[in-house]
Amino acid sequence: MSHTKNVYNLSLKTYKDVYDSLYVSLCLFARNYVHDLDLAKDLVQEVFIKVWEDKVGFRNEATVKSYMYMAVKNKCFDLLKSKRFRSTENMSVEDMDELTRDSFYLKEVVIEEVSTRIETAIDTLPKKCAQIIRLSIGGLTNPEIAQHLGISLNTVKAQKKIAYKKLRPLLKDYFVLMAFVFDYTA
Amino acid sequence: MLNLTKILSLSKQIAASLLKDEKPEALDSSELFSDDEKEEIINRLTDESEIASRLHLKAQIDRKADWEKIQSNLALPQKTNYWPYAAAAAIVLGICTTIFVSKGGFSATDMADPIIVNNQIVPGDDKAILTLETGEEVNLDKDVPYTAENVQSDGENIVYNEASDPESTVKEIAYNFLTVPRGGQFQLTLSDGTHVWLNSDSKLKYPVRFKVGEPRVVELLYGEAYFDVSPSTMHKGAKFEVINRAQSVEVLGTEFNIKAYKDEVTVYTTLVEGQVKVRTQELVQDLVPNQQSQLNTANRTIDVSQVDVYNEIAWKEGIFSFDDKSLKDIMTVLSRWYDIDVAFEEKNLESERFVGVLKKNYSIETILSIFQKANIINAFEINNKSVIIK
Repeated sequence: MSHTKNVYNLSLKTYKDVYDSLYVSLCLFARNYVHDLDLAKDLVQEVFIKVWEDKVGFRNEATVKSYMYMAVKNKCFDLLKSKRFRSTENMSVEDMDELTRDSFYLKEVVIEEVSTRIETAIDTLPKKCAQIIRLSIGGLTNPEIAQHLGISLNTVKAQKKIAYKKLRPLLKDYFVLMAFVFDYTA
Repeated sequence: MLNLTKILSLSKQIAASLLKDEKPEALDSSELFSDDEKEEIINRLTDESEIASRLHLKAQIDRKADWEKIQSNLALPQKTNYWPYAAAAAIVLGICTTIFVSKGGFSATDMADPIIVNNQIVPGDDKAILTLETGEEVNLDKDVPYTAENVQSDGENIVYNEASDPESTVKEIAYNFLTVPRGGQFQLTLSDGTHVWLNSDSKLKYPVRFKVGEPRVVELLYGEAYFDVSPSTMHKGAKFEVINRAQSVEVLGTEFNIKAYKDEVTVYTTLVEGQVKVRTQELVQDLVPNQQSQLNTANRTIDVSQVDVYNEIAWKEGIFSFDDKSLKDIMTVLSRWYDIDVAFEEKNLESERFVGVLKKNYSIETILSIFQKANIINAFEINNKSVIIK
């Protein structure tokens, strides 16, 4: 009989999956703190390396995201508070207060999460559908979309129907989540 | 303490509302944000120029390239007092870690000191021998750049350029060989742009350029190679084919790994991306991504199984990724990279199994110590270029 030594639970591949699904989001998120994309990338990379070295354990998607956003935020704070950065960036106390508020953090996470979700969802749609949904999110009404694309109003409606059908899994998720939220608050 | 779960479910709801062209009620009724903040959120999500600037930034992030940077920085903790296993764990992202301890636990006190005599073992390195059509041999090594007509090497990679006039039909096309010795690794870019990684103890035969519109054929004489094939659509539909002693693999443009060592009866073909056809004299087998075919060259049967592709191709990233492999198989892999002979004093250790990620630039001592601390082996001995497992 031989023994399997479970030295770790998630493989390097899973670590890479986490990287693949969050890296771009975290870079864009960090950029809104430090206002420089290259700097943001460096910070996020450091956080990923640290996660590896610290052997951080995650239970599910929410804990991964929670940890990563928080870690990147803290990393950004460290930099913002450093003397060198403050002297070169000329940041006012008010700017600093604004950036370090909890609601700023939550707002940036929401914007990033919603944007990624929308982009991922739209990427699954056929080209025409995707174009129409993008315009619809941009606030155009059906007649405006029809005019903009030079197609009939009925085509717009039909394409939207196709899109909603394709996106149903995501929308279903939404209802389940609503139920959960109700349960939780009841 | 901020609870991100709420934020994540709110995000899902907002995304769904916007996609369905409905009012984002979840945001409107949320108590987490002020009215100004709510307005900013909606504006950043729906305003055309905001979306465009986000996409512009996104395009400047090269996820693949940055992964390489991160990966080159991933290190194993070398010393740890409370948890010897950690030395072998490149990563623990898991819920909790289950450890099965054999042979009465792991106490550092009763661990036998290794016997090391005249240790000459070093990790492998970039090196290869290029054999030209004339039979002339060129050593490709670090710090020794090589340049000839339409080909150059920086000691890590050898690149063949497309002939300046690809239509000019030379009747005979010259073949070169690239031989990677034990303890070596090398990369090769063929004239069609196909990129090949060659592992230790491998040999590839290939034309210095391909005839336009004709099948692009290379031969893996032995060893292991990873192919990132330039698509057929860029070469007038010419398919790409890798042949070896037992099979041929036919592709249109894809990424895959072939392992066909002289001392192994099985030829492994692992598909990472695209589609390939594995052909023997008797059989044809299509593979889809994450599938591996195992051709038994003795009884000429093919088995196909789902694999974690990462474990199969980690070697080209400077990593050994062993997922429940027997110590015998692991030592075979290590013997090629460190160019060592391995003997098991205790035969039953051959079937011990190990899960873990190790870096290829570790010394052999470090790796064997990890095995020892994990109680997979009791002790080891190094003598010149031999290793004895006890």
